Amino acid sequence: MKTAANILGDALFATGYEVQDAPRYGAERRGAPMFAYVRAADRTIVERGAIVTPDLVVVADAGLLGIPAAGVMQGASEATWLFVNSTEPAQAIRAQWRYPGQVVSWPAGFTPPAMHNAAATSASCAGAAARMLGVIARETFESALIAQSTGRSAGAIETTRSQGLAAFDAMGGVDRCVPEGGEHPATPPASPDWIELGADDAALAAPDIYAQATSEQARTGLWRSHRPVIDYEHCNRCSWVCSTLCPDSAIRVDEDRTPRIHYDHCKGCMVCVLVCPAHAIRQVSEQAAQAQEIEP
Amino acid sequence: MSEQPYKSLKDLPRSHALSPGTAMCAGCGGLEALHEALDVLGRKTVVVNAAGCMTLLANYPYTPFHGSWLYTSMASAPAGAQGVRDALDILRDRGRLADTDDLTAVVLTGDGSAYGMGLSATSAAIERGLDFIYLCYDNEGYGNTGQQSSAATPHAAKTSTSAGTQGYAGEKKDLFAVWAAHKPSYVATVIGADPLDLARKVQRAAALKGPRLILALAPCPTGWDFDPGDTVEIGRLAVKTGIWPLKEYADGRIVHTRVPNPRVPVEEYLTRQGRFRHLFEPERNDALIAAIQARVDRYWDDVG
Repeated sequence: MKTAANILGDALFATGYEVQDAPRYGAERRGAPMFAYVRAADRTIVERGAIVTPDLVVVADAGLLGIPAAGVMQGASEATWLFVNSTEPAQAIRAQWRYPGQVVSWPAGFTPPAMHNAAATSASCAGAAARMLGVIARETFESALIAQSTGRSAGAIETTRSQGLAAFDAMGGVDRCVPEGGEHPATPPASPDWIELGADDAALAAPDIYAQATSEQARTGLWRSHRPVIDYEHCNRCSWVCSTLCPDSAIRVDEDRTPRIHYDHCKGCMVCVLVCPAHAIRQVSEQAAQAQEIEP
Repeated sequence: MSEQPYKSLKDLPRSHALSPGTAMCAGCGGLEALHEALDVLGRKTVVVNAAGCMTLLANYPYTPFHGSWLYTSMASAPAGAQGVRDALDILRDRGRLADTDDLTAVVLTGDGSAYGMGLSATSAAIERGLDFIYLCYDNEGYGNTGQQSSAATPHAAKTSTSAGTQGYAGEKKDLFAVWAAHKPSYVATVIGADPLDLARKVQRAAALKGPRLILALAPCPTGWDFDPGDTVEIGRLAVKTGIWPLKEYADGRIVHTRVPNPRVPVEEYLTRQGRFRHLFEPERNDALIAAIQARVDRYWDDVG
């Protein structure tokens, strides 16, 4: 998404706009949802920081719509357009997530690049956004795509260029659908209702942790886009490989040498899938696995 | 902790002394090495942690440890360990802590602290003969702040402060040699991808007194730019190519515990990581790849 925002920001800048584009990391870590913001205006931009009232939200990973903690719809209103990197019909997405504004997805017949191809996905999301804004010329957008992949191999540059332009062309039906937003003056946040509290004794106020191993309560399983699933028929009960090499100690071995993955904590790194000597661990899409849990 | 030496992988501890739910990245090679080491050391430890990625281990109100954890500034972890050791010794002298309840002071830092900012305090602690174990997760850069180059960054690697076609111009500091030059009780290099070698070394260190270093190369999906699932494979390649020699120092002697023979070409290791992509794209940099190979070959020629 950082790359997509970069391409879009470059193209808007080359078109003559004042531009801000910046990524925001929840934590600079894999598995956490990633946001990037682009602001463009034909005058000096006085706002700073995260965008509170977006005109267009681009969601590269449709799976995030179902994770409230990801907050992809934060600040969205009836006036906010939502683009979802999905081939599902826009109306179905709108109905499923009860989105208040207009939703756009890929037009029928268009095949977006596979999600794991991050560079191509970024290019095509930028292409869709550029066309929905409708103020960027095709050639300007093409230059921004090429500039983004400077230093990469000829093949990588061509992938970015062709995927970005294919998306740009495919979205002709929604050309310029997103109108320019109104003024967003930089308003100071409302001051909270302060309650004056006296200073506590250091023994109380210092953030000491007295209980052991409380991180068990932190559910890092939410980071996952895919999950490992053990096929117990093929597991040879070696009792150590996946459990020892799992960086997160998220695989425990029972007394009878059966490994158990703790899905509350597994971050989906897939180390276990790759190191299992019996190839008894599969990688499954988290969305599919959760759907199966609900309707087994 | 088991008193018997670890003979085979089947002997490795099956219960884990570190809880899941930490904020470390998925596929963290440092966390892998840390939990393997703590599984051997057991729960009677006080971890003294200098600023770094692993500062996020104990993040109020969550801690993955069963024991105490103390956070110090980047340069001061060995000084913190000195205070902990002294306090424990005073309690024992006064009869308020039974010998069987004694704890081990374990310093935990990344390479930024171990190779750079904390080196002066470390040197002084070794000089004083401080009884502690220093565990360093070396991910070859300031990972927590976005992988700026550190004194542990290997030659030619791309970091956020060494971009460009040649990557990092400096050389990776030989911390093993720096420690060994102090003549401490024990120094060892380890890697999470070889848990048996790691367990044997941690067990050996635990049985000794005085300053002891366990230096773990920590493959870092985020900073080195590879898929998190490849952490173990990258670690194995670091050993098979001879880039990360597994060795130990004790009683004035250095012994290599794993000798890769034949050695896999370094290219196999480099090509798997985005931080070395500029060596292969847009044009192959044969001269630089050959120079990296030559450094590794020279090392092993000297080992004999």
